[in-house]
Amino acid sequence: MKTPCVLTLDYSDLSIVLVELVLSLVSFVRAQAPNDISVKNAISKSLDLIQFSLEKHPKKIVIKPNLCYYYDYSTGETTDSKFVGALIDVLRERLSSDMDVSVVESDASAMRCKHVFKMLGYEKMAKEKDVKLVNLSKEKSENVEVKIRDYYFQFRVPQIFRESDMLVNVPKIKYQSGVKVTCALKNIYGCNAFSKKFVYHRALNEAIVGVNKLIKTGLVVVDGIVVNGVNTKQLGLVMASEDPVATDAAASKILGLNPRSVKHIVLASQEGIGDMQFIPKGENLTYVRDIFPRRKLKNKIRMLLAQVYMRCIR
Amino acid sequence: MRNVNLGIIGLGSIGKVHLKNCLRLKNAKLVSVADSSKKALKFARENGIKNIQTDYNRLLNDKSIDAVIIAVPNFLHCECACRAAEAKKDIFLEKPLARNPAEGEQVLSHVRREGIELMVGYPSRFSEDFNKLKSKIESGTLGDIQLAYATNISAGPFSPRGELGRPSPVPAWWFNKEMMGGGALLDLGVHLVSLFRWYFGDAVDAKSYLGYRFNMDFEDHAMCLLRFRDRLLATITVGWFSKDPKVSVELYGTVKHASVVRSSPSVVRIIADDLRRKVGKIERSLDRYFKELQYFVDCVNTDISPSPSGEEALQDLRIISMAYENALRFDS
Repeated sequence: MKTPCVLTLDYSDLSIVLVELVLSLVSFVRAQAPNDISVKNAISKSLDLIQFSLEKHPKKIVIKPNLCYYYDYSTGETTDSKFVGALIDVLRERLSSDMDVSVVESDASAMRCKHVFKMLGYEKMAKEKDVKLVNLSKEKSENVEVKIRDYYFQFRVPQIFRESDMLVNVPKIKYQSGVKVTCALKNIYGCNAFSKKFVYHRALNEAIVGVNKLIKTGLVVVDGIVVNGVNTKQLGLVMASEDPVATDAAASKILGLNPRSVKHIVLASQEGIGDMQFIPKGENLTYVRDIFPRRKLKNKIRMLLAQVYMRCIR
Repeated sequence: MRNVNLGIIGLGSIGKVHLKNCLRLKNAKLVSVADSSKKALKFARENGIKNIQTDYNRLLNDKSIDAVIIAVPNFLHCECACRAAEAKKDIFLEKPLARNPAEGEQVLSHVRREGIELMVGYPSRFSEDFNKLKSKIESGTLGDIQLAYATNISAGPFSPRGELGRPSPVPAWWFNKEMMGGGALLDLGVHLVSLFRWYFGDAVDAKSYLGYRFNMDFEDHAMCLLRFRDRLLATITVGWFSKDPKVSVELYGTVKHASVVRSSPSVVRIIADDLRRKVGKIERSLDRYFKELQYFVDCVNTDISPSPSGEEALQDLRIISMAYENALRFDS
């Protein structure tokens, strides 16, 4: 939220408010325990910290978790259906109890939604929360061209995004060998209805930014309850922001990377999708970074060794 | 020694391994392959196979082919093996023999009637470490084995797949209980049942607990309790839920215990092992598939009945079936 109204302030308060008017807020909250109530409270607090509210009650919202493959949530690779369920409860309480909620994912080169929804508990959650599960690859969509730097892309943009009032992006926070960081921006790349996404891998950074130019995130709530860094860890972290670029910049810092070294974040910022600068709220960012299972020097040396071996010797 | 002319029916992931191994066999020639997938047939063409069929019946009608390798999805095992038997081809059939004992018996009745040889693919029997355990049991080094534990945990069919750097989806039949015939207990458990039967003889009782973490119609993890003659008890634990694969067998005898453990090695270990493989110091991970195929070809060449035979595989299937019948289901 970038429009707080403050009437009586001294100069120091005013400078804080002015900064908050300009920069995006990213909140960091830790759930007390990995149970539904604590997670729900943490989500709620994370939204409070970024002063999240909407001017109009939405009629229809779309939630996009990260279901990149059939990996269980406990691996830290996929968004937990229980986390999405808790988020739906929070949003209904805050926005509108009778809004239409769709949880969406698209088929990927190696993954099919009809299986992943069932296997990862989304069918069960959808029944309990009375929400729709939508396979974007089977929905009505239109081919849209977009140019990012010297690359022209054609993406299949599902109509559901046009028809909805807000897209809630619920990514994971992970390392990724190709683009270094996977969080909010990369999760939206999965909204492209075209299933054979490997065709974009030659210019993946630009493709990620391209999809984010076409499909706008309204709210990001990161499921960091279980995270997959150099190893899997139960971190209990919830991050929230209205800016996917700021979220990814924060995620990079948590992963021990300079956001300016992450191509798609820099590019997204240049394309006006969001701002790399942000104001952290809640838990201290340094503390969160310290408890995250980051790659250490020995891990980097091992990775380098493997890459050199695969490229030069094998 | 004559050259055995081979055909492969089914070029999925294991079919491709067999194709590559066929090209390394000394006394055999891969004459023809059959698959319905264009991608798979392209793979065959790129590996120099000229006779390519989309209908396996045309491959079976080829009189020059002596034996066929059948590596098709479980639901086609029975139909394909029966047709191959009718065409008088010796058969190397991927495990399991069939989806259930009734289908297995149908395969065996065709095999007996036509007088052909049938071998079922259990590569563990051709791996050095499991053979060493067998030697230890037979030599009495371990004393009388009283307890045996076997584990096979992986992501199973849900392991990421890909060809030529392109990820590919898990084939649809892996999500269909009817087509599969069972879940992890059948798919992975049958390897371990076969191994234990090879070590200890026939099991006299089987019970199981089945788990359903992934909400599918079939179990994705299971524990199977087996009782063998001589009061030997065994546990088989299988699962399709883990990114960190592990296969292990532990045997506890009255004198000593022994084990084989295979798990995900570190990067340094992978590189070291790879270099050792290159100089032939250790077995390549797919060597056991080559050895079993070489053995099958040698059996065809010398008219020796191969093992594991169809009868042995049917007995494995009966034990798995008994474990399913005596199963206690619980949802994770």
